[in-house]
Amino acid sequence: MAHLRLENVSVELPVFGIRAYSLKQIVASAATGGLIGRDTNVTVVRALSDINLELRNGDRLGVVGHNGAGKTTLLRTMAGAYPPSHGGVTRSGTVSSLIDPMLGIEADATGYENIMLRGLIVGMSRAEIRRLLPDIAEFSGLGDYLSMPMRTYSTGMTMRLAFSIATAVRSDILLMDEWMAVGDAEFRARAEDRLASLVANTGILVLASHSPELIAKECNLVAELSHGRIARLERIGSPDESVSGVLANA
Amino acid sequence: MNRSAHDNLTDAWRDWWQGTRNVDFWATLAWFDITLRYRRSMLGPLWLTISTGLMLLGVGPVYAALMKVPLSEFFPHLTLGIIFWQFFTGAINDGCGVFIAAAPFLKQAAYPASLFVWRMLARNLIQLAHTLVLFIPVALWFGLPPSGRMLLLIPGLLIVIVNLHALGITLGCLCARFRDVPQIVSSLLAVLIFLTPVFWLPQFLPPGRLQYVLLNPLAQLLDAVRLPLLGGVPALGTYWFLLCFTCLNIGIAGIVYMLKRRQLVFWI
Repeated sequence: MAHLRLENVSVELPVFGIRAYSLKQIVASAATGGLIGRDTNVTVVRALSDINLELRNGDRLGVVGHNGAGKTTLLRTMAGAYPPSHGGVTRSGTVSSLIDPMLGIEADATGYENIMLRGLIVGMSRAEIRRLLPDIAEFSGLGDYLSMPMRTYSTGMTMRLAFSIATAVRSDILLMDEWMAVGDAEFRARAEDRLASLVANTGILVLASHSPELIAKECNLVAELSHGRIARLERIGSPDESVSGVLANA
Repeated sequence: MNRSAHDNLTDAWRDWWQGTRNVDFWATLAWFDITLRYRRSMLGPLWLTISTGLMLLGVGPVYAALMKVPLSEFFPHLTLGIIFWQFFTGAINDGCGVFIAAAPFLKQAAYPASLFVWRMLARNLIQLAHTLVLFIPVALWFGLPPSGRMLLLIPGLLIVIVNLHALGITLGCLCARFRDVPQIVSSLLAVLIFLTPVFWLPQFLPPGRLQYVLLNPLAQLLDAVRLPLLGGVPALGTYWFLLCFTCLNIGIAGIVYMLKRRQLVFWI
C-alpha cells in the first residue's frame, strides 16, 4: 500500500561560494580573525517551505511551477535524497525515482550491459534483471544493436533503451521529472501504452512538468509551486474513486 | 522532534549495512569500472602492471647497490612495497573523490553512502590483483619458499580493507565539503612514501628516536600485508598498533557517517 506524507517540510540548500569550498581559506580566516579569506560564509537558500501533502494509493500528482520554483527539489525530497531541514517525510512502499532516467548509463558499455547497470541502479537484483532482460531487450526493439557499445547509438536509440529499462520496474511510488517522450512514431505509440500501464500499476505518481495538457491528462491532483511553497493545490477531474485526503496547505 | 543519539546511531548503522550487503550493486559497478577501462585503451589496467614492472626493474638494482644489500633481500621487499603502496594511495586518493563522483546517484534517490565507498574499494582491489601478479615471478626468481605464514596475508588484508573503507568515508565527506583537501592529502602521501620502508629496509634505521618513523599507520599497514608474503610474521606490536588505529579510524568514520551522511548531498 503506497503512502507518502510530507508534514511541514522545508528544505534549505546551502550555497557555497568558491571560497567556502576551501579548507585553507576557512582555516586562514579563523586564524586571522577574518583578515585573510573574507567571504567564506555560506548562503542558505530555502528551496521548499512548509510543504504539507498527503498522497495515497491512486493519487496522481502533477507538480507545476516556474523554473526554480522547487519542483525537482520536491521530487528529490520525496525520493529521500534530500533530507528535510524541518518537518518530516514518511513513505511506505517502494520508490522509483526517474528524475534522471539516464543516470549510470555508460557510453562504452553495450546495450545489454547497460540494462544490467541501470537495473542495479533502480534497485533490482542481478537475478531479477536476468529475468526481465528478454522483455526489456524486446521492448526496446534495438535487436542486434544491444551488443554494441552505447556510444554508437543515436540519441533516439539511447533514449529508447533508457525508457525500456526505466519502465520495466514496478514500484509503489513513481517520481518523474517530465514525461519521457521518446523515439519515432511507431515506438512512441508503444511507449505511451507502456507508460500508461506502468502508471496504472503504480500506487502513487508524482509528475513534475511544464505541460498543463499533460498534467490534465495524467493527473487527478495538481500542485503549483511558487518560490518553494505550494501556491495552489487542487483536485482536477478525478475519475478515480479512491479519493484521498489532502492536507490543505496552510 | 529531538531524536536521541542512540536512534541516530542505529539509523547510520542500518544505512551503512544496507549499502554493504548490496554486493550485487557495488561489485558489478566496480567490475564495469575496470572492464570499461580495458575497452577504452588496449592495455587498460594492465598498463599499471607494465609500468610497475618497469619501475621495479629500474629502481631495484640501483637502490640495492646504493644500500649495499643483496638484491635477493631487497627486491622482493621493494616489489611488495611498491605494489601495496600503490594500492593504499590509489584507494585513499579515490576515497577523496568518492562522494563527489557519486553525486548524480545521491541526488536522485536515497542511496546508502557506503555503497559508493565499497565500489571504489572493490575497484582498487581488482586493480591490486593486476599488480600483485608481479610478485609471482619475483618470488620464483629469488626462490622464496611458499609457507603457511603467507596465510597471515588474509587478516592483514582485512585490516587494510577496513581501514581504507573507514578512511574513504571520512575523507570522502571532508573532501566533498572542502574541495582543496584532496591536494593536501596527495601531498601528505607523497611525503609519507619516504617515511615508510618502501624504498629502504627498516633495519637501516639507526636505533633510537628515528624508529618512531615506523609508527606511521601506513608503514604498519604495509607490514601487516608485506611481511607474511615474504615469509615473515608481523610483530605483535604491529597488530596492537593496528588494533588501536583501526578503532580510532572506525570511530571517526562512524561519527562522520552518523552526522554528515544526510548533509553530504547538499555539498556535491
